[in-house]
Amino acid sequence: MSEKIGETDALCPECLKTIHAEKIAEGGDVYIVKTCPEHGTWKVKIWSGADDYRRLYDFAAVPKTPARFAVEKVVDCPHDCGLCDRHLQHTCLNVVEVTNRCNLNCPICFATANGCGYDYHPDMETIRGMFQTVVDYVKSPRCVQLSGGEPTVRDDLPEIVRMAKDMGIEHIEINTNALRIAKDVDYLRALKDAGVDDFYLQFDGTDDEIYMKTRGRPLFAIKEQAIANCAEVGIGITLVVTVSPDINLHHVGEIIRYAATKVPTVKGVHFQPISYFGRYPIEPEDENRVLLPDLAKAIEEQTKGMLKADNFVPTSCSNVHCDLKSLSIVLPDGSLFPLTTMALGPPCSTENVADKTRSEVSSLWKYIEDTMDGPAESDDNSWRTFVNRAKTHYLTVSAMAFQDVWTGEVERWERCCIHVVTLDGKLIPFCLFNTTARDGTTLYRRQTFCR
Amino acid sequence: MEYIIADEVLANIEKRGLKVDDVKSVIEGAGDDRIYNGSVFIAKKEIGDLTVYARYAVDGDKVTVEAGYCHKMKILDIVLVGEDSEWKYCKNGEVVKTGHTNLTYLGATRSGPSLVEPKSGQSWIEEYLAAGALTTAEGLFQQKRA
Repeated sequence: MSEKIGETDALCPECLKTIHAEKIAEGGDVYIVKTCPEHGTWKVKIWSGADDYRRLYDFAAVPKTPARFAVEKVVDCPHDCGLCDRHLQHTCLNVVEVTNRCNLNCPICFATANGCGYDYHPDMETIRGMFQTVVDYVKSPRCVQLSGGEPTVRDDLPEIVRMAKDMGIEHIEINTNALRIAKDVDYLRALKDAGVDDFYLQFDGTDDEIYMKTRGRPLFAIKEQAIANCAEVGIGITLVVTVSPDINLHHVGEIIRYAATKVPTVKGVHFQPISYFGRYPIEPEDENRVLLPDLAKAIEEQTKGMLKADNFVPTSCSNVHCDLKSLSIVLPDGSLFPLTTMALGPPCSTENVADKTRSEVSSLWKYIEDTMDGPAESDDNSWRTFVNRAKTHYLTVSAMAFQDVWTGEVERWERCCIHVVTLDGKLIPFCLFNTTARDGTTLYRRQTFCR
Repeated sequence: MEYIIADEVLANIEKRGLKVDDVKSVIEGAGDDRIYNGSVFIAKKEIGDLTVYARYAVDGDKVTVEAGYCHKMKILDIVLVGEDSEWKYCKNGEVVKTGHTNLTYLGATRSGPSLVEPKSGQSWIEEYLAAGALTTAEGLFQQKRA
């Protein structure tokens, strides 16, 4: 027996035309069902636990619309994106791609780097134009992730960072596979000196068998060297894990335990369940996906309850079904002391969540202020010791479920706050930008960067 | 009673989310349930989820408020009794000691330095701790609720 619990628009995986979709609860889980008059019906599981899915709507923040819109009137959402006045949420993170060249050739790559048939490697003035789009359309604090391809193939990346900072972009993170910063400390130091705030570091596990499957070569030693170099230079890292059900879902607890040994250099672990856009090895069935509730459950099981599924809450900035986040203090024995829990219920105020989240992206590292006056304490079990440790020894464990052509829906795209900056002055939700049809036809990526 | 509250003290009270009336109610409801060091008193009172403190001096019917502060953590048992302090508990005349008291919040229990009177089992938290470490810890726990 199935029950309709929502309606939205979506895309046909064959022709990318906008088609109507329903969300249904069936067998306790949630599915998106959509029919293209030409190409048939698709039914894809999008959430484990229909009650949980409904309950999360209570966590939705009052959205904060973008400061300005680049597109005046949309005829066909999501095809005329840019953003328009239909978009509900402003930009928290701007993704600026500075190349599509890469020093890896991974079997899984959302950007189809090294194989998309064109070279995209913009000059400084083009990149300046993209930063100007951020300055013009996004209110402070402005956070930019430099991405690609692999941004560190560019020798002029420090200059790009410096230019962004000079233009008023407060927070810069670099999305990297770590190859260059593992072997070139001078380059890493130059990036830090230019103003890089942290690295978003591809990290699929602590076992080279995993890297052979996800990246085509053993990389764990390189990741370790990169982390050591960042510790030496004094720059923070978020470990970013592409999670695949048959490759490393069994390994997520081990990744968290490893990350806890690397604080304070490692600030967080961000799990990204594999999405089927760009380059991917198979056409997905439901069992080839990792849904957020299942990921949270795997984390609870593999950390033996140290981090429970209930410790994960939506950020409430994007759509509530897009992400989960936890924050824990790492205790001296390496165990986690979670500070977040669903038991606290939805935020008391959903009015300012978006602002808080934006601010958090740029200031999380500085969140805990030094408020310690008064006599010293020797008691390791005191609140003061706890707070002093919390200032540096904390770990966020988060997850974001990117949408692909099978799972994507307007209800989630229109609340997205992570936007890719285009060359023609637009901001497009990350998942939408990277969406590809079954045959690899892109919705936006190639149209934007292949010129 | 006539209350004298300096601007800086008032600003701190408000910054901590308290009302002046909360602090006055602590003072006016204290009776002998307060500690005294020869010049100022500290009294406390649970108001809703908060334990609210007033530190103040009395001269006739004039009350000079030196500080108003609070914590959300619940005071539990005394875990360490140290040396004599300069304070006495007005209710039983006993000398108040320096010590440590367990405080619990949202399921976590840890200790904090405090003024303790073992015979009555009473503990008082001083301003520096309540407005510093405890507030920060409470803020960490409540980061998702604000």
